[in-house]
This record gives sequence, structure tokens and C-alpha cells, in this order.
Amino acid sequence: MNPALRKLIRKPAPSPADIDAFIRDMEFPLVDGTDVTFVFRGEADAVYLRCWISGLDTAQPFQPLKGTDLWATTIELPKGSRIEYKFELVKDVHKELILDPLNDVVAHDPFGANSVCHAFGYERPEWTLHDSISRQGSLHTRHIESEAFSATREIQVYLPATFRDNRRYPLLIVHDGVDYLKYADLKIVLDNLTHRLEIPSVIVALIQSPDRLKEYSGDDRHARFIAEELLPFMNDAYPVADSAASRCLMGASFGGVASLHTAWRYPEHFGSLLLQSGSFAFSDIGRHNRGPVFDPVVRFMNEFREHPGTPAERIFMSCGMYESLIYENRSLVPHLQGKGVEVRFEEARDAHNWENWRDRQRIGLSWLMPGPAWMVYD
Amino acid sequence: MTGKEPLRLLLGPQRPTVNLDRALARSGIAEGPIAVVSAAWQEAEGDIDDVRRLLKSPLTDLGIYRKANELFDANKPLHDAYRLRQESLKEQQRLYRMRLRQLMIAARATLRTEGETTVIAAERRHAISQLRALDRHHLRQVGKIHGRFESAVNGDSNTHLDDVAAALAEQLSHFETVLITGGNIVVLINRLRLFGLHRLLREKNIIAWSAGAMVLCDRIVLFHDKLPQGRRDAEILSKGLGLLPRLVLLPNPTDRLRTRDLLRVSLFDRRFSPAICMTLDSGSFLLFEGETLRESAAAKRMTRNGTFKPVRPA
Repeated sequence: MNPALRKLIRKPAPSPADIDAFIRDMEFPLVDGTDVTFVFRGEADAVYLRCWISGLDTAQPFQPLKGTDLWATTIELPKGSRIEYKFELVKDVHKELILDPLNDVVAHDPFGANSVCHAFGYERPEWTLHDSISRQGSLHTRHIESEAFSATREIQVYLPATFRDNRRYPLLIVHDGVDYLKYADLKIVLDNLTHRLEIPSVIVALIQSPDRLKEYSGDDRHARFIAEELLPFMNDAYPVADSAASRCLMGASFGGVASLHTAWRYPEHFGSLLLQSGSFAFSDIGRHNRGPVFDPVVRFMNEFREHPGTPAERIFMSCGMYESLIYENRSLVPHLQGKGVEVRFEEARDAHNWENWRDRQRIGLSWLMPGPAWMVYD
Repeated sequence: MTGKEPLRLLLGPQRPTVNLDRALARSGIAEGPIAVVSAAWQEAEGDIDDVRRLLKSPLTDLGIYRKANELFDANKPLHDAYRLRQESLKEQQRLYRMRLRQLMIAARATLRTEGETTVIAAERRHAISQLRALDRHHLRQVGKIHGRFESAVNGDSNTHLDDVAAALAEQLSHFETVLITGGNIVVLINRLRLFGLHRLLREKNIIAWSAGAMVLCDRIVLFHDKLPQGRRDAEILSKGLGLLPRLVLLPNPTDRLRTRDLLRVSLFDRRFSPAICMTLDSGSFLLFEGETLRESAAAKRMTRNGTFKPVRPA
């Protein structure tokens, strides 16, 4: 237990003022090496820590601290870990998930927000933060009439700060692109990495699906949209280099599946893939147990594993160690390498979330698209 | 200090330590108008106010980056031919890199093998000779690509390339001293070569830092051990201007080289031998008279055993 917390509860009867002072003086959760103590103050019948870490119980019970209105639970988090969590409060028969009231660090995602615990040794990479020195690229909204989907699709296009019409640029296509901008600071990362010459100036097509669980699950319409509609559109509208080696598909979770599936359906169209926490569920025999939304994914992945071909020459993969998908991601690496694909795989002490994907962008992008730092000697 | 042969003043990066003014003052290069090549700064070419503040001499930027872009904009066939050459060079570099990786793995493994038997020594020598053979092959292939491009565009009056090159040559003839800045070395060597300036610099005094200094060597060696994606094996880009033969210049080793990795440094030194691999950290300088080193400060050279020692004039 955290020493300050132990000292507090060893007092015969800590006063509200003592507890107020303790709360005021400490940063929560309490990180002591690899021990992390979560604290809740308030009335409840029970309190649980919900952190969705594969390998830990989904709900860690808090203990009421005698003589106070505090509750606490301690878990062990290895050095460098970053986890997202909520508290589950039980009052009477009601259960409520809340953010940690004592912790201001919050991560957002399309479903809302979670509190964030930075364990000992984790620091947010400085290149994910706005840097006033970095010249800023620009975002432009475009529309594509899609026959594949019989609908108009809106995309965002990122142009680098030094964009010139008479240059040719590599093209990066990002699944869930708007989410990447909102929740994984993709624009800041692109601006910073470009300015620091760690990636080349690149044009980025950011796509967003209205029904990603269907369209990103190995859907041929989506592959057609990317290869037969988006690519020609980008070639016509922007000075993008017209070669597979200059094109990269990127996505996380189901977006990783969509990236792999598109490259597999259209070989020699994409030179590289950046796949983060891909939902690469498969079954060697029998049925999978991930629910019906994964049925098409498993069908595709089983077929892919049987006939992988060469979806791209270079693939960067990353996955959090605390994800249930870590097994599927790890097992895909040798499978791809066995087919001659150059693969780089990075694991992180994190889970299935946008900030994990944010923190891996530098290594992934700079490995797949090395910038001119190599050629610049100031 | 003045001599019959032109002087070459080579400096490390001008950040964080600026030594351009002090080094120039003690170099013996006579005061007078200086032509500037800042093409390696690309869009920032000509932004030389900081340099002006340091030097008393009047400066004229030759603007070769801008002139090349204007030519490309006005002349699609030339631009297309240039792009095609760049694509070929990229492909050549990619294939070279692919082969180099395997040879470097093998060379490192032989150097790591413990023992000093004649068997091991012979394998080490052979592994390094294979590296050198690949480097030579790559240089030849790159030379052929340049040759094809140059024979296609030089002398073609439609390109107006010769006109611009002649005007630049005439402009340059009024200067005894040329200053070449650091920056993107690929852009720099391409622009110098495009206008044939590499043939006109031999008789000039040259002041150069970082990339500007590297292009003066006979081979341009790209290196960076500290990229975010990890270390990368040094690669030969192309021939340089050949004004300083048997020399490999390595600017900013503090930020770019794993200088304490004995095996890596030793392999670097052996691979490019008999050329001498010299580092140029910020604040350092080397002064050559023709090809003869006359003075140095804070520059170091790699050694066969993987350490560094100070560079001293003969």
C-alpha cells in the first residue's frame, strides 16, 4: 500500500480535514514503483476497478478503508504500462461506471472517455504534443461518388506544410481517419514527424466508414472503394506518386483488418501496411468465440492464412500486450514472414485504445516511410 | 595562410556552435565577394542573412535550387527525364540497400567471431572485400544512370539547360571563393551536377559545412545510427565532386553515430579504407590546401580498432 495512505488510515480516526489534505497533496492513482493504488472517496455499497486488461480480472474490488469514506485497491503494473480504466460504483442494485474523480488524465474515444493511469516508467512521447516550431499541414474535405457503396463518401485529405503542386508525394490511406485525428493526434504527429524529417512530406487520405464493423470486416465493397475509387480519385486530384511502393494503408482494430483485406484483394497496389492491434481473429478448427460481428473477419482471416499471397512488401504491426488480440497478432508475424514479407512487430504495455495507437505511430510511420533525416546534414 | 592551390575550409554543423567566422578568419582565404550555394536548404535557399551577419565579404546566392525548379516548370520533357532518373536512382539505391544488408550482417558476424586465427582473419578480409565490391558496383550503376540522363539532356537546346548552366558558369567566374551550406545532400549534389558546377569548383576556394563539405569528397556516404526506426547501415549515395579524395566526412557524429560501438566503428573504418573517415562535430574544422590537410580543430578520425583519435595535419 502507498505509504501516505497507510499513514492516513493508521490514525485512530482520520478527520475529514486529514482526508481532504491527503487528497489535495497526492496525485492519483498512487504509483509506487510497480504498485498502483486506486482510491475512491464517497458512499457506495461496493466499488470495482474496471480496466479491460487481458490477463487480469475484469473487475478488481476496492476495499473500504476503516474509519474513512475512502476505498482503495492496489494492482501491480509493470514498468512502462499505460492503462485506461473506470470505476464501477454499486449502490443498492444500481451499477454505474464513472471516471476516476481524483484523476484529471482522461483519454477519449468514440464511445466516450476513460481515466488513464500512467504507470512507473511511462511518459507520453513528446512528439505527440503540439510543437509550435513544427509547420502545420492542412486538412481538406473532399467527396467521392462511390459505386461500390452506392453512396457519396466524405474524406479528409491532409496536405503537408511544404506542399507543392510540382512534387510527387507518397500516399497514406488511413482507416477511421477522423478518429485518428481526434483520438490519436494524427495531425500533430504528422506535422511533427514531417518537420523533424523523420517521415517524408506525405499526402494522407483519411477515410471514415458509417458502418465500420461491417465494411472493415473483410468486405469486398470496401476493398473496391479503396483500390478502384479512392486511388484514382487521389491520383487525379493530387500529385501522388503512382507506384505501389509509394502507397501505404493504415488502420487499427477492424481498420487493420480492412487494410490487410484490401491489400490482399488488390495485390501489388500497396507497398506497405501499418496495422495496429488488428482484429485478426481466426479459427484453426471449430467456431470462434468472439461473437457474430467477427464472423466475416474470421472467414477472411482463415482464407488469408490459407492463401496469404503477398499483400505488401513491408508490414508494420503493433499490439498492446494487455489486449485479447495479442495472440492473433503475434501469430500473424511468422506467417507473413514465411511468405517473404518484411515485418516489424512492436508490442507495448498498453491495451486496445487510441493512445496506444498514437504512441506507436512514430516507429511505424518512420519505419515504413523513412524521412529525409537520413539525407539531411545541417 | 595562402598557397598556390585553392583552400578548402570544412566545418561541422553551425548549430549549436557557430565557428564559420572564426575559422574563415584564420584560414587564409582572402576577403572578397563570395558565391553561395544554399540549394541544400531547398525552399529556404537564399535565406542567408545569418551568414551575412558573420562575414564581412559580400555574398551572392547562386539560387541553383530555384533555377532548377524554374527550368522544370518551364520544360516538361526535362522535368520528366529528371524524374525518371530520380526514380531509377531510388530503385538502384533500394536494391543496393537490400544486398548491403545481408553483406553487413555477414561482415559484422565475422568481426564478432572471437579469435585471431588465420582462418578468421581471411574470412573477415573477404567479408569486407565483398562489401567494397558491392559499393564499387553501386557507384558504377549510379554513374550509368547519371550518364544516361546527361547524354539525353545536355546539348539539347530545347531544354535550355545549357543556357542556364552557361550563365551560372559566367556568374561563378567572377568569384574566387564559394560557400556551400549544409542541408539535404541529395538535393545539393543533384543541383550541382545538373548545372555542371561540379566541373567549375575545382579552382575555387571553398568554405563548406556538413552536407556542403561531404559533397567535396570522391564518394558521398550517407549514415545515421540514431533514426527513430533504429540504426541503418551506411550507404554510398553517389560520387561526390572528388576535390578531396580518399576522405569520408561524417558531420554531427554526436547526434548521428554510435561512436562507442567499437565493432560498428571498426567496420565503418575498414569498409571505406583507404579513405580516412573524419568526423565534423559542431565547432570543428578542417583546412585543406588542395588535397593536403593544413590545420584541424576538434575533428576526429575513425580507427581500425573502433576508436576515434584526433585529426592532425601531416
